[in-house]
Amino acid sequence: MNASPVYRALVLTAWVAGVFCALLCGVLAYEHFAAATNDPWKSPQLLALKDKLAAEPKNEAAQKEIRQLDLQFRRQFRRRLALDKTGAWLLAAGVVVLALAAGRAVTLKKPLPLPQPKTGGGEQSVRLASRARWSLAGVGLVIAGSLLVVRLGNTSYLPASQAGWQKLLAPSAAQEAPVEDVPALAEFQANWPRFRGWDGSGVSLSGSNAVAGVLWQSAIPAPGHSSPVVWGDRVFISGGTVARREVFCYNAATGALLWQRPLENVPGSPPKVAEVPEDTGYAASTMATDGRHVYAIFANGDLGAFNFDGTVAWTKYLGPWKNPYGYATSLAVWGSNLLIQLDQGDARPAGSKLLSLQGASGRVLWERDRPVPASWATPIVIEAAGKTQIITLANPWVISYALAGGNELWRAQLLENEVVPSPVLAGGYVLLLSPSTSLMALRPDGAGDVTKTCVVWTNEENVPDISSPVSNGELAFTVTSGGMVTCVGVGDGKKVWEKQLDMEVQASPGLMGGRLFVLGEHGPLAMLQAGRKPDDLGRIALADRFVASPAFAGGHVFLRGMTNLYCLGPAAAKSAKQP
Amino acid sequence: MARHLKFVVALGVMLLLGLMVSAEQRFPPPDFENGYVLPSASTPPARQFWLQYADAGVLLACLAVAVFLLYKKRSRRGLFWLSLFSLAYFGFYRKGCVCVIGSPQNVVYGLFNPQYAVPATVLIFCFAPIVVALFAGRAFCAGVCPQGALQDFMLIKPVSVPLWLEQALGVIPFVFLGAGLICAGTGTGFLICRYDPFVPFFRLSGGLFILAAGAVFLLAGMFVGRPYCRFLCPYGGLLRLASLASKWRVRVTPAVCTQCRLCEKSCPFGAMREPAPAQTNPTGLAAERKRLGWLLVLLPALVLAGAWAGAKLSPAAAQLDPNVALAERYLRQQSHPAQYGLMTPEALSLQRASENPAPILQSAAEARRRYDTACRLFGGWIGLILGVKLIALSLRSSRTDYEPDRGACFACARCFSACPDERVRLGQIL
Amino acid sequence: MMEPKPANPLTRRQLFRGAARMMTMTGLGVAVGALATRGAKGASVWQIDPARCLHCGNCATHCVLEQSAVKCVHAYAVCGYCQLCTGFFAPEPNELTTAAENQLCPTAAIKRTYVEDPYYQYSIDEQLCIGCAKCVEGCNRFGNGSLFLQIRHDRCLNCNECAIARACPGDAFRRVPVEHPYLLKTTSR
Repeated sequence: MNASPVYRALVLTAWVAGVFCALLCGVLAYEHFAAATNDPWKSPQLLALKDKLAAEPKNEAAQKEIRQLDLQFRRQFRRRLALDKTGAWLLAAGVVVLALAAGRAVTLKKPLPLPQPKTGGGEQSVRLASRARWSLAGVGLVIAGSLLVVRLGNTSYLPASQAGWQKLLAPSAAQEAPVEDVPALAEFQANWPRFRGWDGSGVSLSGSNAVAGVLWQSAIPAPGHSSPVVWGDRVFISGGTVARREVFCYNAATGALLWQRPLENVPGSPPKVAEVPEDTGYAASTMATDGRHVYAIFANGDLGAFNFDGTVAWTKYLGPWKNPYGYATSLAVWGSNLLIQLDQGDARPAGSKLLSLQGASGRVLWERDRPVPASWATPIVIEAAGKTQIITLANPWVISYALAGGNELWRAQLLENEVVPSPVLAGGYVLLLSPSTSLMALRPDGAGDVTKTCVVWTNEENVPDISSPVSNGELAFTVTSGGMVTCVGVGDGKKVWEKQLDMEVQASPGLMGGRLFVLGEHGPLAMLQAGRKPDDLGRIALADRFVASPAFAGGHVFLRGMTNLYCLGPAAAKSAKQP
Repeated sequence: MARHLKFVVALGVMLLLGLMVSAEQRFPPPDFENGYVLPSASTPPARQFWLQYADAGVLLACLAVAVFLLYKKRSRRGLFWLSLFSLAYFGFYRKGCVCVIGSPQNVVYGLFNPQYAVPATVLIFCFAPIVVALFAGRAFCAGVCPQGALQDFMLIKPVSVPLWLEQALGVIPFVFLGAGLICAGTGTGFLICRYDPFVPFFRLSGGLFILAAGAVFLLAGMFVGRPYCRFLCPYGGLLRLASLASKWRVRVTPAVCTQCRLCEKSCPFGAMREPAPAQTNPTGLAAERKRLGWLLVLLPALVLAGAWAGAKLSPAAAQLDPNVALAERYLRQQSHPAQYGLMTPEALSLQRASENPAPILQSAAEARRRYDTACRLFGGWIGLILGVKLIALSLRSSRTDYEPDRGACFACARCFSACPDERVRLGQIL
Repeated sequence: MMEPKPANPLTRRQLFRGAARMMTMTGLGVAVGALATRGAKGASVWQIDPARCLHCGNCATHCVLEQSAVKCVHAYAVCGYCQLCTGFFAPEPNELTTAAENQLCPTAAIKRTYVEDPYYQYSIDEQLCIGCAKCVEGCNRFGNGSLFLQIRHDRCLNCNECAIARACPGDAFRRVPVEHPYLLKTTSR
């Protein structure tokens, strides 16, 4: 019986089929794991090569390599699909042969039934039943135990109680109230609540007295390039290093330091602070305030909201950011909204977005992805064409979003190079600079891609690369890094006058009381008549280095130097006060 | 330079397209001059609907043939070929869907969600095997179920599982059934479909985990007969219950059982039961009655305990619901922000949630309420099945003949040929 | 032969069994009645709503089939036929050619053919398309949005529970009647 040739043949067939199936499984499994890096859209090798080509567009060798690799991967991909298909059928056939052969072999060897004498009888069945009951209890415990493990290993962030749900689903009073408690527009206009003023135009509606000299100067304990913001009798400024980032509050009249608060322990912010290029520093973004809270953002990704008494209201971590020079876009506020333009990426976009948060709570109202790499311009909010629009600049797109909801209204492909200057609204047009290339005026009333229809005029003379323009509605003024001030008409873009100030300028100019203020990098503060003739109205010498743009409020000018905060004002209160 | 080129080309394109810029489309539809005709998208139709009725018809026909083969012809060979046909048709041709095993989920989903109308074919798939089981036992399992046929085919050398172990593990199909119906009833998903280990073989593709699980089941099935059917199949649990009430039962002998014991080891699935004598020891009877009494009292306690424990499970179980999962991730992001890669599905779903969280939180709240009830039911159900099984294991069944257990017998007719009376009927012995 | 002649006409067990059988049949009948009277509208199949699709790429990886049943479809009426197609070319392409480093599609499933100046036709080769949504992403973000994903019903198995639907971050899958199994795009948005 053992040596039956049929039996031996069947066993042999079964073994061969079994080995065949095992080998085939191995081949298919290997193929599956190898595919993890070899599929044409997943291969890290190919992606690295593509990045390299993006950095050096003319690299022929990289091009050739990419094409070869891509073809190879695609061929492999198709081969793998075909292999899987035939492999599956072959495996099925092998399993069938195995089952049939082995089954038949076993049947041939099956012993005839040989019932043994029974022992125990009734007792045995009682014992078996008892054993079954206990093992059932064991199974029940195992089931209960595993469900317990599932429950313990799980954390739920949803509320447990009815009250908790009610609070979550219905926005609480604490969230609602601050939205109604928004200062009136006039209050925003009277202060300097964000970079270049309430509307980002650089124009102050307050003060008509001439500025004569320094009223007070106070030390700022932390370095930074952000401009001061002013609300009422307070001046806020941010500063920081890799070790510590802080917000400082000074009395606007006396310069006394009222409070300083560090921004630390932001949830999600990595303990090892991201490195930022020294030229930019951690506090290059100007703060913003809506009269109820004051907001600061730092280049490592931390965002914080502070109450006016210095306590922290809320914090958020928005990083990490991929910005070649370091994040420097300033915050913008409009009503109860806090707007953050987070552009990042080197040659290609890498997660740029625009966020709108509810200032009081920090809740993200909406966010929009942006198809642009890093930029350093700050957005402005304008009322035009019947809508409240957020104008953002980056290379190459100017994009306008609706404030409510964040939908894109229009965009234009007009910019080049590294976009640092911010836009302004002047005479119904949006004035913006394509750095070192052109000053343009756009109509903000389009929809969709308006690249060729929105430009009203272009002026390519003396175009700055860093500072933003300023305008009084009829005339627009720009300052180049070399100190050339140019005045053009807002209506037609034609140059009215140009004047060389012989100083290096990094800060953006401002307008107050009909005077144009241009802040030199090593001082002085130059004042010109903001009219059709560039009358010199005087200079105030300052011994410091100034990169931040000036802030204007209540007839005073606030400047941030490397280590000091200065307040300049009319002659009557000219005695320089120390805190 | 490349950037300039792209800009110039884009500008050129837009200039050539004309000054009219549509407010809806970024790039307006072109006016073709050379008579170019726009191609239209191909729309290959889905499988024709009447074919589903054909499937149901084939199911009913196979059930009828199975019952016929089991009771009238008493033919193992016939059942074998029928099961191969079912494997080919319901398995490899229909790729295991519509599946009898999963159909109770659709029925329960339909019961609790008024907007879902259960198709008539699904009702046939769900109820026909149960109706057959009520009359003729688990004829479906042997002849018609493709998953069963696959395991049956792979059975090479059966190893017997001790009866007490088989009875203890026999509650797991009911647990799986409860979990699957809970998920279906709350509208979360179809658990039984997700965790069917054999359907990926029918489709010839699948994820690594489920294919490996299927391979494990097949390999185990070479030695432990029908492992999925005995220890996991939720529909098998329903059929087991229905078979307990069946009008006819599968009998090993076509005539009268002579207790010759030749069929004792003939069932590869451990369903054969021996004649059990009545209790002869009076003291034993009292002990048995006492135990039964305690277990009867324990039953409602187990149900209540299970319901209480089930309610505790609810926050974790509710996360099976996609809206609850998204709401959890959204809330977690607010307190413990995690970095998700740019444009990954997690980041995109979080973006969708943070843009408009209210409807998602609302659906999550409703889902949690549904799960509170459902998990209580699930916990109570587990308590119930444990209690009932304990009671069933304490009852004596007196049996005079060797016959397969009504609930456990898959009606495969393998035991027939072990009986000498059957051989007489076939004419192999005179 | 169904069963041997019973010794006594009706045992207690048979009575219980009969009663259980009757009750179960009644229960099943009630269930069938409750469900069948809902007016089964006929079969339904899965489909993607292009308005809700977030072009995340899950369609290529989550289908139970090895080659996903989801493929990219082109709404030619919505297409701008642009020379610089942002669904065909990678962002900031080196050149406007079909070279591998310029194409967005990882399997080169989009075919670019010249129609007339400056229009180019872009068509999808379904055999090559894997449903990864890279072209859909590019087309929707910077173009007209004429490329979109759809489930192809000559490939889809119409699973009870669609594995992609479960993983879709935009909740874009829904059941549509089998007579109209496609949700084609006819406008840009």
